[in-house]
Amino acid sequence: MTSLDSIAVLLGVEPRWEQRRGAYWLDPQGRGVREVAGAMNTAGARFVTITAYELAEHPAMSLEYHWDLEGRLLGVPFTIATREIDSIFDLCEAADWIEREVHEGFAIDFTGRAYEPLLLRAGATPGVNLHEEGQ
Amino acid sequence: MSYRIPMGPYHPALEEPYKLDMICEGETVADAQLHIGFNFRGIEHLAETRNYIQVIALMERVCGICSNIHTLTLCQAMEQLTGLEPPPRAKYIRVVMAELERLHSHTLWAGIAAKLMGFKTMFMTCFELREKVMDVLQAVSGNRVNYSMNRIGGVNRDIADPAAMIPMIDALEREMLRTVIPIFTTSSTARSRCAGVGVLTHEKAVSCGVVGPTARASGVPQDLRRDAPYAAYAEMAFNVPVEQDGDVRARLMVRALEIMESCSILRQALEKMPLGEVHVPEGKIDFQGGTAISRVEAPRGEVMYSVTWKEHTRNPARVHVRTPTFANMPAVRWMVRGARLADTPLIQASIDPCYSCTDR
Repeated sequence: MTSLDSIAVLLGVEPRWEQRRGAYWLDPQGRGVREVAGAMNTAGARFVTITAYELAEHPAMSLEYHWDLEGRLLGVPFTIATREIDSIFDLCEAADWIEREVHEGFAIDFTGRAYEPLLLRAGATPGVNLHEEGQ
Repeated sequence: MSYRIPMGPYHPALEEPYKLDMICEGETVADAQLHIGFNFRGIEHLAETRNYIQVIALMERVCGICSNIHTLTLCQAMEQLTGLEPPPRAKYIRVVMAELERLHSHTLWAGIAAKLMGFKTMFMTCFELREKVMDVLQAVSGNRVNYSMNRIGGVNRDIADPAAMIPMIDALEREMLRTVIPIFTTSSTARSRCAGVGVLTHEKAVSCGVVGPTARASGVPQDLRRDAPYAAYAEMAFNVPVEQDGDVRARLMVRALEIMESCSILRQALEKMPLGEVHVPEGKIDFQGGTAISRVEAPRGEVMYSVTWKEHTRNPARVHVRTPTFANMPAVRWMVRGARLADTPLIQASIDPCYSCTDR
């Protein structure tokens, strides 16, 4: 069993990794982001970042979570209909700043954590940097 | 009694603006909070308003030190979306530029570290070495900061006489072996300011997900040039220096040894550089829709670009940049805990922070 397959086994999903344009992608098949983060921790994967995209169906967003495992970049996409998703900060310390940045840039709430301002200055509002209002 | 000392956002010990809020007990730092964003430029958003040529020039300005790395990473991502594969010679030139940039970044950092140690003579020595590297970069590209070398499907300029660069590498290597490495490793000034200072344990390095020399100095043996080779790195033989102590001295040693490895890689790339074109033929560039990701090992660690394009359009729909300092800087909080207040400028500098990248 490959290390990639072991992650799918930990998650209890079909090991359908698709190698595409610089990353190995896995459909989480209904698993939550915290389950995925837990499986990545168990497999010894290193958290890299979260990339947020606005989708055409406002206010839906796509959040792509990335980890590195033995030099391979892993990608797990999550689509959120509301601007809310569980935080993985308590499972993965490395996610702290990017969760704060995405929160401030796109007004997404990573639930279950407290925020301190990262880029915003006093009086500023989350979502004004990158979020296209009303799209 | 505890008291709070803010360092920054504008402070003589910082090269760029950020703020370290420290809670001190006597001369010892008990805890610290970091604040960034004083120069936030919104470059990711700006990138969506630029076409595929303009966006390269824009992303070259994310960082004033590793500007070439940003265009290399971006172009590699765009090449995946266009199906344009750079010719072999272009890949070798990309390696040469990336290693020259690493040399100039590491010698610059060594100079700044020496200055913060109070070691002005070493500062001058390091900057003299850096100047030699900058001269070569200028000779190759015509520029000293933004080299404008990368394009989709190759590079903009050839290196007409690769062998002419060998004497510069010899001189740099000689000076590193003769002066910089011995002094940094044996001088009592350097040792007293660096050894056991600003320790980032292996466990904390893994937990924080730090990258580059900061990770390797804490015993995390990761380097994308070896683990996920890009350009022509698969054809280069080199070692990845790793230290275990996790202190400022370990971070200094890793970079000093990496300078030697960069010289070795440069020599190989220049000697083995194949003949041929340096970019794909000119023509209309058509983008497939979707997302492409590219990662490279910048002087400070892993850079990642996630680039999304709508089919047949000229502008990217999204460009996300994860810079190495963004991954490394949160770890400064753990490095300064328990440190002497006077050591904090050197500790924060030891990750070679780039606030320009972080405030992209």
